[in-house]
Amino acid sequence: CVLLSPNIPAGVTSALALLWLLLCAPGNAGCRLLTVADLLDRVIRHSGRIHSLSAALYENHFAPRDNELGKPVRKCHTSGMLTPNGKEYAQKIPREELTHLILRLLQAWKEPLSHFNQHIEHHQQLPDDSLSKAKQISNMVHELKTGVEKVTEKMQSMGIISNSLNGMASSEAAGLSISNEANMMSDSDFIHCFRRDSNKVQSYLKILKCRIMPENSC
Amino acid sequence: KETFSCWWKPGPDGGLPTNYTLFYSKDSEEKIYECPDYQTSGPNSCYFDKNYTNPWTTYNITVMATNEIGSNSSDPQYVDVTSIVQPDAPVNLTVETKTSASITNLWAKWSPPPIADVRPNSHVYHYELRLKAEGMEEWETISVGVQTQYKVIRVQPGVKYVVQVRCMLDLGKWSEWSSERRIQIPKGERMISPPEKPTIIKCRSPEKETFTCWWKPASNGGYPINHTLLYSKEGEEQVYECPDYRTAGPNSCYFDKKHTSFWTIYNITVKATNEMGSNVSDPHYVDVTYIVQPDPPVNITLELKKSVNRKPYLILTWSPPPLADVRSGWLTLEYELRLKPQEGEEWETVFVGQQTQYKMFSLNPGKTYIMQIHCKPDHHGSWSEWSPEKYIQIPTEYRVKDMVVWIVVGVLSSLICLIMSWIMILKGYRMVAFILPPVPGPKITGIDKHLLQRGKSEELLSALGCHGFPPTSDCDELLVEYLEVEDSEEQQLMPSRDNATRNTKMIPKETDRDSGRGSCDSPSLLSAKCKESRALPSTLQTQHVRNVQENKAGKGSCEILCLASEQKIIPFNNENPRSSTWPPAQLPNSQPPMFAYHSTVDAHAITLGATNMNITPVSVGNEEDHQPLYPITETVHDNLENQREMEDFHSKTDQTTVQVKQNRPNDQSPFLNPRLMDYVEVHKVRQDVDPAVLLKCKENSEETEKYTVPGTSKEYTKVSTVVDHNILVLMPDSQNQQTSVSQEPAVETPQDVQQSEAEIDTSYIVTAPSEMNREDNGSDYMDPSSFIPPFK
Repeated sequence: CVLLSPNIPAGVTSALALLWLLLCAPGNAGCRLLTVADLLDRVIRHSGRIHSLSAALYENHFAPRDNELGKPVRKCHTSGMLTPNGKEYAQKIPREELTHLILRLLQAWKEPLSHFNQHIEHHQQLPDDSLSKAKQISNMVHELKTGVEKVTEKMQSMGIISNSLNGMASSEAAGLSISNEANMMSDSDFIHCFRRDSNKVQSYLKILKCRIMPENSC
Repeated sequence: KETFSCWWKPGPDGGLPTNYTLFYSKDSEEKIYECPDYQTSGPNSCYFDKNYTNPWTTYNITVMATNEIGSNSSDPQYVDVTSIVQPDAPVNLTVETKTSASITNLWAKWSPPPIADVRPNSHVYHYELRLKAEGMEEWETISVGVQTQYKVIRVQPGVKYVVQVRCMLDLGKWSEWSSERRIQIPKGERMISPPEKPTIIKCRSPEKETFTCWWKPASNGGYPINHTLLYSKEGEEQVYECPDYRTAGPNSCYFDKKHTSFWTIYNITVKATNEMGSNVSDPHYVDVTYIVQPDPPVNITLELKKSVNRKPYLILTWSPPPLADVRSGWLTLEYELRLKPQEGEEWETVFVGQQTQYKMFSLNPGKTYIMQIHCKPDHHGSWSEWSPEKYIQIPTEYRVKDMVVWIVVGVLSSLICLIMSWIMILKGYRMVAFILPPVPGPKITGIDKHLLQRGKSEELLSALGCHGFPPTSDCDELLVEYLEVEDSEEQQLMPSRDNATRNTKMIPKETDRDSGRGSCDSPSLLSAKCKESRALPSTLQTQHVRNVQENKAGKGSCEILCLASEQKIIPFNNENPRSSTWPPAQLPNSQPPMFAYHSTVDAHAITLGATNMNITPVSVGNEEDHQPLYPITETVHDNLENQREMEDFHSKTDQTTVQVKQNRPNDQSPFLNPRLMDYVEVHKVRQDVDPAVLLKCKENSEETEKYTVPGTSKEYTKVSTVVDHNILVLMPDSQNQQTSVSQEPAVETPQDVQQSEAEIDTSYIVTAPSEMNREDNGSDYMDPSSFIPPFK
């Protein structure tokens, strides 16, 4: 099992994922399911890494002091997105929706992350390793999105999920992405929101994986 | 007190309507009046208003009941208005607490009962107050007096009291108790105040689907406080109240699944309310995703298995807590276990990850381990509590191979120990000598031990510086008196001996030489049977001689025969004092004449001392064919002094003679002259013999040195002096002989000959009368034994 540490460029992960796809012939039933599950596993692990990074960054440098958490100022640019806020809801919505939701979330963060990357260079208080970690995030998110897209294609090709929602999601997400809201957030809020959304993505992916497998009663 | 009423109780009326009438009379008047008013006071009553009321009058009242059949009247009742006055109860009772200077008092105030047409303050009421703690049975009654207020000072804080008052007019009756008033005494010193601020302790979600918040209630003096939890969600204005205060216990709020939203921040506050006011806690912001603290893992199993090389290892398995939905992936748990040996102090913690089993190697056999697991969500949350302790004992392994090795080691080491100890025992002496070298003893220069050992007399003696020992040609110069041995009655002496022949030989020889030849040929040479002699004095000389003899066993050594007194029998008849072993006097007849008397003093003989031996029997030389040259010289003194001794000697000599004679089958010429004879036996020391002591026959010249050989029941065991380097003077020494006899002539070892060398050169028997002292041997004697170191 290839578990790549965060230090290794996550691009290798995606490359390997692609390799897996190529190697495994579509006609093979056993191989099909296994592949998707494996892919999902890798994607989940990747998202877990992203979340850990952002959480570490948040707690070490951007954490609010003493219960300033609930300041009403804090509002994420993705708050408008309707996302299931519990396990039951995530299990109830159709898998296509879930998948697209994940993609939308990832898409929504694309632009703000790149902006954040530029911004974080001038952040004097960050030590170097945290700085490098922060810079990695946007790459990782990009790779994750690529991976999820690939898995989605795979699933759609296998008929696990339908193709119905393909077009709609991206435009909305893109709109969110380039909105001013995203760019106006403070660093602390930014990291806070991102941490949350990365957790969302990870959880949704886990639920999705469980729901893909027919034998699991998710 | 201005009106009064009477009430009557109707009796059984028999079912018919009954009419009651009340009649009264005043004091003792006759006149009977009827009740003026039946209505005012109610049924079966009669009201007397103030016109009819006279406080100082006693009324006699009766009630008559009348119906159709007849009438009946009650017993008369005497009523004194004054005494039946009962006012109404006081009204407007109020109670309150007042705290001043940390003392809380209870104030009660009331108003007198209202009276319709009475002037205020015309009646003076007496009041009484009673109070009790709520829930108590007993009232405490306090007499207040005429005042309409009262301060109760002894009230317990925190207690709720019930208060009542009643009143009385003068001599009348007490009114009823007023209605109750209750009041709570506040606790402590505090006055009633709003509650303090409560605080929220923590909020936790055990499975990431519900969560619970706990708060710490505000404390306040005794007043009941009501807590409420209010929350609002991120982005919403609406404030909700806690949906469930009960499920999670007191001072908690449980949010079920419906009320739990993830990825939203809750703003939670707790409000405490009491009678005086309320207080709100600080807001607590909660994102449920990050407050997950699961329950500990369950179903922990520990299993011991044997790996390939028979080493045991432990497989631990567990399950996630039941509430956590790990299967769907909603909650992912990571596990960590810790274990330590039972006696250990520190835990060893192992992070396991997301798997639910673990293999543990390298455990010590025979030890008991304690193991615990806990878990936490993979993203940030809290570690659960540690699971209950699990014990596992690793079985000890007794491998056969190990035991064999230990057994072999044990056996080998014990063997080595045995060998070492054996070596130590055997060679211990040498080891000790090696380690602690013995202190060298003094070495006499010129004496060579080895020479002694070899037995070369010449070399030895030359080394010593003696020349010519044994004397070779000295004999000629010596006068030898023959000892004439006479027959005596005692025959049994001298049992058959091998020396007999020699004796016989000797004798004739002696006689031959009786012409006054040197001493060497003393016919009186008696030879003691050394060989037979058992107890040999341990004198060196004798020993030496004996050695000589023994060395020349085959050749026959010259033996010097010392005349033994009758008391001596050396080897043969120890019991018989008479008997003495007389080495057969051997006449040196056949011997080269130059040695008149040749005898080899046998060490045995000389030193022989049987128990009663007086004379050392000089062991006669070999019994064999060797020509004995054993001049036995006995000097017989004809000294007057020794007459007696001589006589003794004679007797002895007789014996000896006898003996001698006996010993000599051939012919025994009396060796011993009854007369004095000085003789010295000269022993020729053989050349080839270890220095044999030659008894030299001495002439009578030496008076002092005359030894009556026989007279002395002595043994000539001791060499007294050495004369001329080749004469060994034997001293009779009965005592010594005895002792010396007892001494085993273990003188084979010539080691100690050195010391006696000097004395061995020559020996001669000199019988000195003066020295016929049997007992006293000491002075003139040189007790060789004294020179002889103890032989080993």
